[in-house]
Amino acid sequence: MPGINAKQRRSSCRWVLILACAAMLLTGSPLASTASAANILKMGLLQEPKTLNVWRASDRWSRKVVGLMYQPLYVRDPETLKLIPWLAAEPPQFDEKTLCYTVKIRPAKWSDGAELTSEDVAFTARFINEFKVPRYRSKWNFVKKIETPDKHTVKFYLKEPKAIFVSRSLTTPIVQKKEWTKLAEEARKTKKPLKRLLNEKIKRPVSSGPFVLKEWRQGTFLYLEKNKHFFGTGKKVQGRLLGPYIDGVIFKIFGTSDASILSLKKGSIDMFWWGIQPGYIEDLRANPDIELFQNEKSAIYYMGFNVRKAPFNDVNLRRAIATLVDEDFIIKRILQGYGIRMYSIVPPGNAFWYCPDVPRYGEGLDREARIKKAFGILRDAGYTWEVPPVDGSGKVVNGEGIILPDGKPMEKFTILTPPADYDPHRAMCGMMMQEWLRMLGIPAFSKPMAFGALLQQVKVRHDFDSFILGYGSLSLDPDYLRNFFISTNDKKRGWNMSGYNNPHFDKIANESASAMNRDKRRSLIWEMQKIIIGDVPYIPLYDPKLIEAVRKGRFTGWVQMLGGVGNIWSFCQLKPM
Amino acid sequence: MAAKEKYPMLNSFLEGWSIFKQNLLGKIGLVLLIIFALMAVCSYIPPWINPMYNPMTGVDPEITSCTPPSLRHWLGTDFMGRDILSQLLAGARIAFMVGISAAVMSILLGVSIGMTAGYMGRFVDTLLMRLADMIMVMPTLLVVLLLSAVFGQLSIWTIVLIIALFRWPGVSRIIRGQTLSLKQRPFIEAAKVAGASHFRIIFVHIMPNVLPLAFLFMTFRVTSAIITEAALAFLGFGDPGTVSWGMMLQWVWKTGHMFQAPYWLLPPGICISLITLSFYMLGRAMDEVLDPRLRKEDQTD
Amino acid sequence: MELRRYIVRRMIQVIIIFFVILTVLFLLFRWAPGDPVSMMVDPDMTQEDAEILIVQLGLDQPIGVQYFIYLKNFFTGHFGFSFHYGEPVVDIIWNRLPNTILLFTTSIILSAFVGVFLGKIASWHKGKKTDSLMTIGALVTHTLFLPWLALILIWVFGYKFGWFPINGMISEEVWLDPEAGFIAKAIDVMYHMVLPLFTLFLIHFGAYLLIMRSSMLETLKEDYILTARAKGLEEKMIRDHHAAPNAALPVVTSVGLSLAFSINGGALTETVFTWPGIGRELVSSVSQNDYPLALACFLMIAGVVLVSNLVVDVLYAYLDPRIRY
Repeated sequence: MPGINAKQRRSSCRWVLILACAAMLLTGSPLASTASAANILKMGLLQEPKTLNVWRASDRWSRKVVGLMYQPLYVRDPETLKLIPWLAAEPPQFDEKTLCYTVKIRPAKWSDGAELTSEDVAFTARFINEFKVPRYRSKWNFVKKIETPDKHTVKFYLKEPKAIFVSRSLTTPIVQKKEWTKLAEEARKTKKPLKRLLNEKIKRPVSSGPFVLKEWRQGTFLYLEKNKHFFGTGKKVQGRLLGPYIDGVIFKIFGTSDASILSLKKGSIDMFWWGIQPGYIEDLRANPDIELFQNEKSAIYYMGFNVRKAPFNDVNLRRAIATLVDEDFIIKRILQGYGIRMYSIVPPGNAFWYCPDVPRYGEGLDREARIKKAFGILRDAGYTWEVPPVDGSGKVVNGEGIILPDGKPMEKFTILTPPADYDPHRAMCGMMMQEWLRMLGIPAFSKPMAFGALLQQVKVRHDFDSFILGYGSLSLDPDYLRNFFISTNDKKRGWNMSGYNNPHFDKIANESASAMNRDKRRSLIWEMQKIIIGDVPYIPLYDPKLIEAVRKGRFTGWVQMLGGVGNIWSFCQLKPM
Repeated sequence: MAAKEKYPMLNSFLEGWSIFKQNLLGKIGLVLLIIFALMAVCSYIPPWINPMYNPMTGVDPEITSCTPPSLRHWLGTDFMGRDILSQLLAGARIAFMVGISAAVMSILLGVSIGMTAGYMGRFVDTLLMRLADMIMVMPTLLVVLLLSAVFGQLSIWTIVLIIALFRWPGVSRIIRGQTLSLKQRPFIEAAKVAGASHFRIIFVHIMPNVLPLAFLFMTFRVTSAIITEAALAFLGFGDPGTVSWGMMLQWVWKTGHMFQAPYWLLPPGICISLITLSFYMLGRAMDEVLDPRLRKEDQTD
Repeated sequence: MELRRYIVRRMIQVIIIFFVILTVLFLLFRWAPGDPVSMMVDPDMTQEDAEILIVQLGLDQPIGVQYFIYLKNFFTGHFGFSFHYGEPVVDIIWNRLPNTILLFTTSIILSAFVGVFLGKIASWHKGKKTDSLMTIGALVTHTLFLPWLALILIWVFGYKFGWFPINGMISEEVWLDPEAGFIAKAIDVMYHMVLPLFTLFLIHFGAYLLIMRSSMLETLKEDYILTARAKGLEEKMIRDHHAAPNAALPVVTSVGLSLAFSINGGALTETVFTWPGIGRELVSSVSQNDYPLALACFLMIAGVVLVSNLVVDVLYAYLDPRIRY
């Protein structure tokens, strides 16, 4: 009868609870950390890596973890940002006549003890080409032949000169031939080999890096332990003595920033590997146990136009809008001071490629001066108003009802932004642009839209007026400048989202892609920036600074670099205190 | 006596009202609801006073971060410097709109389907009622979630429509029952003999008799629509251009102010819970008014 | 005999409904304007890469073909590969299912038992302070907004007092420790389960309380109770041994009928507490346009709902001979 059972169950429940509490007290708090006895670094991640299959790892979380295991031939020096040999032994030798790059590989081992040879390098490149691995294919498909004259030398023969070979292709992670040969064979037998390979679950990645995966408990944590075969242990690379000096890394997965920052404050993690939002910064700064690092990012956030559609095909309208952007406001108020002005598509932190000489539309002007200047540009281009923003006496008033040069009033247009919680900065920029444009009588409407739907509309359907988007981590090689604006990329899902079409730009861009001389390439890249900022299909808005928080007292030796302190150098040099 | 017969509707209304008055819960519910309605109406006032109080795009010239309550912002500001009180008031407006629209749509749908099922009987009846069963057991929230993935982005009206599509089974059952009993009545037989088409019989003769009941019944079940919209917005699948209470909770949670801003965290949740409570209490009181059997409960012992 | 036929008929209905849901959702997803490939925002992904991926994922084939491939795989226990994880969907679900079952069933059992117990007491003290208090309490807790309640509990007990972890199911320190035995791990899970369990419990027990209360009030009017009283049995005996068991029946059926509501609550709770279960997986797969996983998670949940409704209907039909459809 239910009555009796309920009573019995209740009393037995009571006993279980008492026993559980007793056990808990006896075994000590569940948070008693055995891990801190050993020197294990605890990092907080906002989301779980989706995979440890290096070919599938397109999201940043997977890349963070995979990047500790699979290493490239060259990496960037944290101070000069120059490419320096990592798995390679010396800089690559280029033979112009045969278009051949020769790379020497340093003595190194994989985590299973096997030697890392030129076979592995050649295998990686051939693998990418054979199976057309996304994201890497475009960096290797112009390599026509690969030779391995001995165990420590690889020769790459290019079909045509390609400037990106050293900076993009030679920074591809190298995989072990042994690990992937069998998988490749099985994949070849199926109808969709690439799909098969991308779906492989790599349970025990073979690592050439400072750490190797020990355990992954889905949904909660990943544990990587020190790779005793790491080639860098005890060696000096570019003047830095490498470890790793820590025994392992635990990546804890938190669903929200709140949870991780709380954990950081409590001391259960040593670092939260994600930018700290401005709302937390003051609180963390005041905390004596927390240290904050500030670094620049190779990132750009911008407003893009649909240049295919009137009236955005009028460069004067775009220039006027660029003039109205109040960079000061964006940096001070929206980013709370944690950002730098972007005048070009290339971030200023990328010093070698950044062109300081581009037109700067609203720089140094206050609000009224900006309105007057924009008004001038539009008036000279034939625009009229119902109520001009600058009246007869030169006073600035609220403009209304702008009329296009052909006599028709401008239809209202939307500025698409990601939702406010996805990125409050972009959403706010959208709102501000709406206000600034309306002051000039331009009927702008900021519309937040679910991110996936936004991408669909902008990238696939090309059905939009303008948008505010960004790239959080641009590569240091400026080839993206070509990709974003070259007319051949104006396709469905292509990178030319604005529809910019300039044959002169196309010509220079293609030249820059095959300019093997770095300085020559730089002058071309600079010219490309001048053209783009002159035509402003994209208006650069800001480059946010990256603030990261680290717990003091346990480890020391974080290396600051463009992109934050979570870089391979930090992991190799962190020492327990 | 004559007056009672002359104005039957007014009479039953007054009768109902006297029963309702006795119910304490009902009165509390009504008061709360009136407060929320006032909030919804007042939501137009702050932006009219000053555009910086606009819940969605209000930019305070001096504040662009989360601040505690002050004279300028009675409930403080959110992470973008927008006034929280205006958001709360706008949320009341959205809640009513969502609740009432979803209720109206589901009533219309449920009444049509219920009448058709009851009147046509047999195969049509079985089919429609099986469909109703199937829909009734599905977790609405999860279905709308899936549909939002399909459509990419849902506007507030699409959300309301989909919620209504999952609420009609409850109404249709009641209406079907009513229709079944009405079907046997003489006036329907007379209409059939006179050659009226099925359509005419259903919509001209039966509907007027079942509609009042449907409205009374469903109007106090709007809460599930409000909660579903709030939960959707909370998870991030709402309409990003609408400020609802669920959306406010999403913002406070996702932007990491959950622990630092009780003035932002507490009001929206309290509102959602209270409006649900008030509708619930009102609904129970209405049940007693409508169904005489339930009244006896208070009169025994 | 009649019962058996009823059961068979209902089972066939369940199977048909399940496949209707599967088909409708499958078609909806394939016709959806978005596709997972566009979600991959990566300056390194060229449009050729995107096109290659679309072919590889089979998204370029006619819908009919895709549907039949899906059905074929479904019957062989293969639900496709997750677009996001790249792993077989079946593995992911298998991995998450126990966590959901643990949390969910514990919460239902706890709420039901406590609700029944308190409802019994409330009905017994009808009209008095205890009754009013319990009824109001049940009403208020039942109408609290679940995600908000979860946030409040995390804030108060996790952050301010620090008594409980603010999210997750396990602590890695315990699970990585080679010396930690089963008991330590079980306690760790229970420790993490307290807050989510409490959230679900608070929201749900009220409904059971109210149902039990009105059911008891009805039962107490029945003849056999009067007979028992006339026989001179003790009040408590009458209440607990005669009235309560029969009054509890509607509660049992209401557990099944309110399953949809509880499942919604489960998904929300898992998301707020980052409890690695099926509900949370469904929510995150939807936001990533990971159709195979989202579809499979939903089908799993729908299957559970349909089957439990079937069980409840059959139980009802078995226990109450008056009901036969």
